[in-house]
Amino acid sequence: MEIERRGQWLRGVLDLCVLGLLRDRESYGYELAQSLDAAGIGPIQGGTLYPVLLRLQRAGLVTAQWHEGASGPARKYYRITDHGRAALGRGGHDWVAFVTPVTTIVTGGVDG
Amino acid sequence: MNADQWLHALGVELHRRRVATEDVRHVVAEAATHLRDGGGDPWTVFGTPDRYAAAIAESVGTRPAPRPGTVRLHAEGITKRYGRRTVLRDAGLTVRAGQIAAIVGANGCGKSTFLRICAGVESPDGGQVTVSGRLGYCPQQGGTDDFLLPDEHFVLVGAGRGMGRATARRAGRIAARQLGWESDRAVLARRLSGGTRQKLNLTLSTLTEPDVLLLDEPYQGFDRGTYVNFWDQLLRLRDEGRAIVVVTHLLNQLDRVDLVLDLTPATPGGRP
Repeated sequence: MEIERRGQWLRGVLDLCVLGLLRDRESYGYELAQSLDAAGIGPIQGGTLYPVLLRLQRAGLVTAQWHEGASGPARKYYRITDHGRAALGRGGHDWVAFVTPVTTIVTGGVDG
Repeated sequence: MNADQWLHALGVELHRRRVATEDVRHVVAEAATHLRDGGGDPWTVFGTPDRYAAAIAESVGTRPAPRPGTVRLHAEGITKRYGRRTVLRDAGLTVRAGQIAAIVGANGCGKSTFLRICAGVESPDGGQVTVSGRLGYCPQQGGTDDFLLPDEHFVLVGAGRGMGRATARRAGRIAARQLGWESDRAVLARRLSGGTRQKLNLTLSTLTEPDVLLLDEPYQGFDRGTYVNFWDQLLRLRDEGRAIVVVTHLLNQLDRVDLVLDLTPATPGGRP
């Protein structure tokens, strides 16, 4: 139940999280999964992550290019576009506007 | 099923869902990179090949199913006897532009004979073949000259279509590269390995940009990577509107073809 609820939340915001991580630098799928885990969101499997990246790419919010990084072989690097930055700004605003009252309402239950 | 097999199955599933060939390549390569970076079981990381392929298809979209074009190859009532043995009895096949047909069946059931009759290098005892447009034929053996270089093959075959030497050489090298073969080394055909000679054979059959391409088990001696490249190339040719007939005994390719002609004697004739 808990895992399922978390999965549902994630489905709604994973694209925003990815855009947020790409805001300052380009990155590739595996590294994004590690960053999400390190940020405390938990492990994200490739089967969940790559369809989101492809949707973002198709919508023009990110672009992708295969090239070699500082170390290691060629990987597909994603980079946020201006369009993507605007979507992150709007979506981030909407998320905060949604989560703030939710937090206020449920906080009593957590404390009590 | 190991990671390579999982990736191969993913490619097959993506093609089957008509994800664009270019996208298939990227998605499979990216999954391979991810697995190499993180290790892990592809079944846990990505799920089953068909479920993951479905999620990808939803994300990137799929190519529209092409409308079958004009009839390029029509064979009907094909009968062939060798002495008292009837190899083919009333076999038929109709292939339109933008379709791949597979000819399957047990060894010795007449698959190659049927293809040779379609190519016009053998005559049937009964029946008729109509071909509309230019024909390319890749036989199982032969088709290359032992004492010519790959480039000389390209020039020779290109000349048959009025291509200049440089144009033919360039086109041949590009086509060879799509099969993962750098063909610019000056090596006589007889010094090439069986698999590479087969790549040369295949390259020659596509060099003249035929409307109808007949291939007789053209992947013998190919490694797995070449084999995948080969099917990518076939799908690309199909999407360009070629009519392709391929003799095959490997069942896992059938997902990606449009028509199947089974020449096993118990079930004569074609089925869609």
